[in-house]
Amino acid sequence: MLIDKKRVKRNKSLDKFFHGFFMAMAILSASFIVIIVLFVFTKGISPFLPGYEYGQVNLFDFLTGSTYRQDQGVYGVGFIIINTLVCSFLALLISFPISILTALFIAKVAPKKLGNTMQSIVELLASVPSVVYGVFASGVITVGVRMIAESLGISTFGGSSMLAVIILLAIMIFPTLTSMATTAIRAVDKDLEQASLALGATKTQTNFKIVLTAAKSGIFAGAILGLGRAFGEATAVAMVAGNKLFGPTFNPFDITRTLTSTMLVGLKETTGLDYDIRFSVGLVLIAVIFFSNFILNMVKKRIGRNL
Amino acid sequence: MKTCFSIKNLNLYYGEKQALKNINMEILENNVTAFIGPSGCGKSTFIRCLNRMNDLIEDCKVEGEVIKDGQNIYSSKQDIVDLRTRVGMVFQKPNPFPMSIYDNIAYGPRCQGLKDRKKLDEIVITSLKQVALYDEVADRLHESAMGLSGGQQQRLCIARCIAMSPEVILMDEPTSALDPISTSKIEDLVLELKKDYTIVIVTHNMQQAARISDYTAFFLLGEVIEMDKTDKIFSTPSDKRTENYITGRFG
Amino acid sequence: MRREVKDKILQALTYIASALSVFVLGAIIVYLVINGLSLINTHLLTSNYYPQTANSGVKADYVYSEMGDYSGNGHYSKKWGIAVEDIVTSHNDEEISVTYIDPNSPFAHMESLVAGQEGQDSSLEVGSNIQNIYYTDENGETVFLSKVQMGDAENLVARLDEAEGIVSCNFESLGGGIRGSIVTTLYLIVISLIISLPIGIASAIYLHEYANKSKINRLIRQGIDTLTGVPSIVYGLMGVAVLFPVTQLFGATSTSILLGGLTLAIILLPTIISSTEEALIVVPQSLRDGSLSLGATKSQTIFKVVLPCAVNGILTGVLLGIGRVIGESAALVYTTSTVISDFPTIMSQGTSLSLMIWSIMSGEQPNYELASAISLIILIIVFVINFVVKIIGKRLARSFM
Repeated sequence: MLIDKKRVKRNKSLDKFFHGFFMAMAILSASFIVIIVLFVFTKGISPFLPGYEYGQVNLFDFLTGSTYRQDQGVYGVGFIIINTLVCSFLALLISFPISILTALFIAKVAPKKLGNTMQSIVELLASVPSVVYGVFASGVITVGVRMIAESLGISTFGGSSMLAVIILLAIMIFPTLTSMATTAIRAVDKDLEQASLALGATKTQTNFKIVLTAAKSGIFAGAILGLGRAFGEATAVAMVAGNKLFGPTFNPFDITRTLTSTMLVGLKETTGLDYDIRFSVGLVLIAVIFFSNFILNMVKKRIGRNL
Repeated sequence: MKTCFSIKNLNLYYGEKQALKNINMEILENNVTAFIGPSGCGKSTFIRCLNRMNDLIEDCKVEGEVIKDGQNIYSSKQDIVDLRTRVGMVFQKPNPFPMSIYDNIAYGPRCQGLKDRKKLDEIVITSLKQVALYDEVADRLHESAMGLSGGQQQRLCIARCIAMSPEVILMDEPTSALDPISTSKIEDLVLELKKDYTIVIVTHNMQQAARISDYTAFFLLGEVIEMDKTDKIFSTPSDKRTENYITGRFG
Repeated sequence: MRREVKDKILQALTYIASALSVFVLGAIIVYLVINGLSLINTHLLTSNYYPQTANSGVKADYVYSEMGDYSGNGHYSKKWGIAVEDIVTSHNDEEISVTYIDPNSPFAHMESLVAGQEGQDSSLEVGSNIQNIYYTDENGETVFLSKVQMGDAENLVARLDEAEGIVSCNFESLGGGIRGSIVTTLYLIVISLIISLPIGIASAIYLHEYANKSKINRLIRQGIDTLTGVPSIVYGLMGVAVLFPVTQLFGATSTSILLGGLTLAIILLPTIISSTEEALIVVPQSLRDGSLSLGATKSQTIFKVVLPCAVNGILTGVLLGIGRVIGESAALVYTTSTVISDFPTIMSQGTSLSLMIWSIMSGEQPNYELASAISLIILIIVFVINFVVKIIGKRLARSFM
């Protein structure tokens, strides 16, 4: 009685259309990652190919160089890669234990209300934009670094330094590490804890020995994510890095240069090779993130197996 | 009496697992047919074959034929939407849409393109009257259906189904989530509705099957062990397993 | 006994670690409040960043009335309701700056005399630097008072008190406002959401409602998941390389707000997709079954039943997206440029609030006060968004119980 044949037919073709539309949009979304890698790769590789309009750059020199001076046209990112790795790993080293302790506090130690408040605070820290951390870093962290340096009799470049970068990154990856660790700790089987308690272990012993071990894999995943964030963090780092022209930097009070700060510095008034080479640096950044993720995921699998 | 569904050698697989084994059955028009059996025996899976709701489940494969009006509903010629407008379904838990009572009932007709306000009003009111819900909700047709009680919600879902004027109403344990008073109202309703519709009902409650159905099929481990007139099944079942189940030896 | 001590120490450590992060959040907020709070007022929100010279005349319909008293900074001319003081600008110029204007003052009822802007309101504000004044003397003749003739604030007030009427005035507005950046930020939010929402919602629908476990679909999901881990600066590179040609089709010749918005749209995709999908997961399957059993098609079911139920999740995605746009900087450095614009249009360059911070912090002389003030504004917005998202999340969890 109700069926209008024409209408049914239209509904059916509409239905087919939407199926196609949704699928097309999903494919489009997914294809962006391919587009990103493809285009950054082609643009980033172009300065190293013969026939490059501003004069071909030697790829080997670029990757291993220890000087980066746009005024002289010398572009070597070898030392910058090392700087980036050193800063990010040291930041992780500082942030990791603090975030695990905080996660334990939120999930196990604190009374429920306090734990929830603490979790909200971590979420707020996570939502603070990068530039705001940058303002804080150049207004507070650099001052702190300068004071420490002065008390040791070392002079700094206004506090901009590798140490400032490390502290900044440690703060910035802290929320990622903590929320991943909290999730992992909360997911630990309650039976496991009860078994430990039943064997006469105290609550604290159980938390540190059983819960943390069981949550190891999730905590490690958080560390990988945090490290990726540290590698890619740009504006805030660029505000306090100081952009040294050569390196690598191992003195914590000396200025440094990371891949991201290199990509940002002096962008406003640049063209030609100096502009294009930033795509090459970006490509190196993608490669660094990809390889570190790859290696750490292998390590993670190892750790997981030894459990 | 005319045959509504004629099922021939129906097999259903979830991936590797066979959930229904070689089912043959005739379901007659303007009768209440009940499916009983222990949980996990395939009776719900089977009822969902009759309006092809199993199509929604991934890696679910159906073999065999379900013939309705001389056509196999599993043939590629069958329009699923058309089938579902003719074979309505009521689910285990009341599932009113989070919209007004009126919009819930008007949903199906509107999906078919009916926009005429007057006609819609008429459909909504007759449907509600048929399930004896109209007097209870007449003054709040445009309030959310979520505010109704469980029993009212389920009757609303039946009304929603009737609004499409289907030929068959499939009911998948329609009273399992309801209190005894609501249950008896729904049972009365089923007896009332069978004048106009063919009803297939899955129930875990044997007394319910005995009270309201004309035919009963007993399912066990994906097979139909026995199907016959309801009073025959409950008085003199021919299979030992049916007897064991009915007398409460297992289940 | 030793065990108890050890337990206590470990427990104390967790408290200390937590206190540390509270301390950091507190330090950020305190620093920003100390440095930036005093700057936050309507002037900051509504005025231009660059100081502008204006030439304004008293409106024809202005009627003189009695001025009020004033006892703050500077020298006050009760006759004309204006107070001025001598200042030295950051560029070491000596200026006469307005510290107070009475609402009845002729200086508060002026319109622009600049060609092309005639008739627009253009009155002096607190903070404006007076360059010269035309007034009428007792003989009804117009007198010009140059900057040299004005001398200092005290002298200016004395000369003004001799005047019989005010004609016009040249002045430099204060500048330092963020209106242009607020407008740019709004543009970016609108552009990015308009593009990101349909694509993101449609993708989430496909992933959750249509996609089976085939290899292609796994690949699609993996691709979208990987987007989350791409640093925003790389999105900036992609914007320049891939999307710039797209904006050229619309007539863009340089980086533009449009380009920034398009780039942000892609940055937002993973956020929109995941929050929509989370909401779709919560919609009970029984509602879909109910709709389909009534003969609705799959797309009818999605549009009429599923999406209305998922609206909270989509809203969460929108809010998180807005937060991300407001906070984003690195990707925009490449795509909208770092040139602060007071009158941004979609095709022009401009800075969002975050990018403005980057711009004023990475120049020769970082402006900590302004950067802190903007940071504080951003932080307040982001925290409010965070709070609202949490409330929605709680409602979402309860809605289908």
